[in-house]
Amino acid sequence: MIATLEPEAIVRPSDIDWRVMDDDAGAAVSDGRAQFEQQALPFMDQLYAAALRMTRNPADAADLVQETFVKAFASWSTFTQGTNLKAWLYRILTNSYINTYRKKQREPYQGTIDDLEDWQLGGAVSTTAMSTRSAEAEAIDRMPDSAVKEALQAIPEDFRLAVYLADVEGFSYQEIADIMKTPIGTVMSRLHRGRRMLRDLLADYARERGIAAATRSSE
Amino acid sequence: MSDCGCDQARRDLEEYLRHEVCKTEHADIAAHLETCAACRDEVLVARTLTEVVARACRETAPEELRVQVIARLRDLQAQRH
Repeated sequence: MIATLEPEAIVRPSDIDWRVMDDDAGAAVSDGRAQFEQQALPFMDQLYAAALRMTRNPADAADLVQETFVKAFASWSTFTQGTNLKAWLYRILTNSYINTYRKKQREPYQGTIDDLEDWQLGGAVSTTAMSTRSAEAEAIDRMPDSAVKEALQAIPEDFRLAVYLADVEGFSYQEIADIMKTPIGTVMSRLHRGRRMLRDLLADYARERGIAAATRSSE
Repeated sequence: MSDCGCDQARRDLEEYLRHEVCKTEHADIAAHLETCAACRDEVLVARTLTEVVARACRETAPEELRVQVIARLRDLQAQRH
C-alpha cells in the first residue's frame, strides 16, 4: 500500500504508524487513535476552510484546526459511532473558535446582532437594481472567488457562519442550530439576512466592475 | 388564496431549496414554480449564490498542518501511558 500523505519536509517519520489497521490486536489504545485518524482526519480540509473564514488568517486557522483535533481526540470516547461525525467536529471547531479566538481578536461585541434592523447594519436595505434576475445570477456566477470571500468577510460574523454552514457544508437547519447553539428560528433569520447582504454586496461589486453587462469582459 | 402563490414561494424559497419545508408546501411551491418564470429566476439566483459561495470557500489544508496534527495525536497518546 502506498501512503497517500507524503509530506515534503518531515520532522519525524510520522507515516510509520499510519496503517495501524494491520497492527496486532494488543494495541487497543493505538487502535483508538488509528480509528480517529482514519475517520476524523479526512475532514481536515473542510475544517481548515471553515477556520479560515472564522479567523481570517492562515496561522490562526491552522492553530484552530489543530486545537479542534486535539479536543476531538481527547473526547473521542464520547462520540457515538454511526452518528454525524462532521457535525460533531464542527461543534468542537465552533466552540473552540468562540471560546478562544473570538475573544482574542477583540471584535466588537456582536451578541445583539440578531436584534439589529437591517438598516442599522448598513447597506442591505433594498433589493438591488439589477436589470433582471437572470442577469443577477449570471453576474454572481462570474464573480471571482476573492470577491466572494471579501463579501463574506464583510457580513456580521454570526450571519457569515450560518451562511457558511448551510451553503458550503450543506448542514440542515437543525444541525446548524446545534453547532451554533441557537434556536432554529435564529438560524433561519441569520441565513436569510446573511444571504441578502451577501447578494447586495456582490451586486455592488458587479456594478462597480461592470460585470453585470454580459457583453463586457470582467478581466 | 390571497395571491397566485408568489408570496409563499418567495417567502419560503430558501427553505424550499434546502428541503426544509413539509411535503405539502414543497408540492405547492414546486407547482407554482412550474407556472411562474419570475419565481424561477429567484430560484436561479438563490442556487447560484449557494454554488458560488461553496466554490469560493474551497481550501486545502497545508501539508504542514496535517503533519503537525498527526504528531500531536501521537504525543497525546504517548502521554497517556
